[in-house]
Amino acid sequence: MAGVSMKGIKLRIRSMESTKQITKAMEMVAASKLRRAQENVTRSRPYFETLYSTVCQIAGSSGSFTSPYLESREVKKSCYVVIAGDRGLAGGYNHNVLKLAEAEMAGKNVTVVPIGKRCVDNFRAHGYDILTDAYFEAGSLSVSDCFTMARDLCRRFLDGEFDEVHIVYTGFVSILTQQPAVMTALPLHGAGAEEKAASETIYEPDSETLFAAIVPEYLGGLIYGALCESVASEQGARRTAMDSATKNAEEMIGDLSLKYNRARQGAITQEITEIVAGANT
Amino acid sequence: MAAFRLKIVTPDGLLFSGEARSLTVRTVEGDVCILPKHINFLTALGMGEAKVVDVDGNVRKAACIGGMLSVNGDHVELVPTTFEWADEIDAERAERARAEAEEKLSHRERLSGHELAIAEAKLKRALVRSGVARRK
Repeated sequence: MAGVSMKGIKLRIRSMESTKQITKAMEMVAASKLRRAQENVTRSRPYFETLYSTVCQIAGSSGSFTSPYLESREVKKSCYVVIAGDRGLAGGYNHNVLKLAEAEMAGKNVTVVPIGKRCVDNFRAHGYDILTDAYFEAGSLSVSDCFTMARDLCRRFLDGEFDEVHIVYTGFVSILTQQPAVMTALPLHGAGAEEKAASETIYEPDSETLFAAIVPEYLGGLIYGALCESVASEQGARRTAMDSATKNAEEMIGDLSLKYNRARQGAITQEITEIVAGANT
Repeated sequence: MAAFRLKIVTPDGLLFSGEARSLTVRTVEGDVCILPKHINFLTALGMGEAKVVDVDGNVRKAACIGGMLSVNGDHVELVPTTFEWADEIDAERAERARAEAEEKLSHRERLSGHELAIAEAKLKRALVRSGVARRK
């Protein structure tokens, strides 16, 4: 019987090796994509942060004027922009962000703008109200797509189709750590500080026109920033997942080789025993 | 000479961070020039040429489209959607984009409202770019 199990082990080793090659290749692809995505994040982060802090500051110091973007209306319907990945095999990346999104949405009347194929599939399968699935591929969205989406969302927000807009994305902390997060984009909420400085600020043309011009840009910028972070996170998560998959495969191959050698050894010993026994009779 | 802290950030990164003597940009209302000790100010940007004079008196021009400008104390933040220094503009590409957009607009009756808006915006952007590149 030793021969059969030897053959079985050999087959398993071979299949493990080809799996290892695939995961190794995926890891390397993810690593090179990650480098690019990471550059994108570091480049867009100052923009993202400046935009956010400036708008928060204005909103916080806006005692003197009103804008539909600033009013907190009674929330009848919420809009969630959820950014996940296009593909699986990225560890817990998709699961984590979708789980967070679903926890956030629980009990609310929501409409979803899913970004990423996984995300679209998930929300469709669970019967959520999907506003648009025009942005299904996270990897290929450009800055101008983000701005188009933002303008559309702003218009709908002003029309009263929904009363708040949240963005669910994955923050890129480091190559090894990614943190899913929720950000409230609309209505604007102020930082509250700097009330005094604000009273002396000139708004041109006037605050309302200004907000109408700036807010879509702001939202577009936020979405783009969140997208960059998410794409980098996806690649980071995939790289880590594939790295550990490769390591596991190596470990299993090691185990199996040991078993294979033992079986081989056993077979030889048995054969010798049989020969010796035959010679003695 | 008096100066202020200028920061120019776009989705493509931080393009300028440092001291500047003056900044001229085109807003939705027309050109404005920011000098040191300006009152706090906030406006939306239009499409046009931006001019930065740094502390050494060097003038740099750029094509600056969309976004906002905020002045807060001596911190000036320019957050445009696109911002390209004049010497980095690909004039040929801008010229090509202009020709394409014009070609599209030449039979505007075939375009839907949305397409028309896109083509017009493209033409405007291309005009700003090639204009800035020519005057550099």
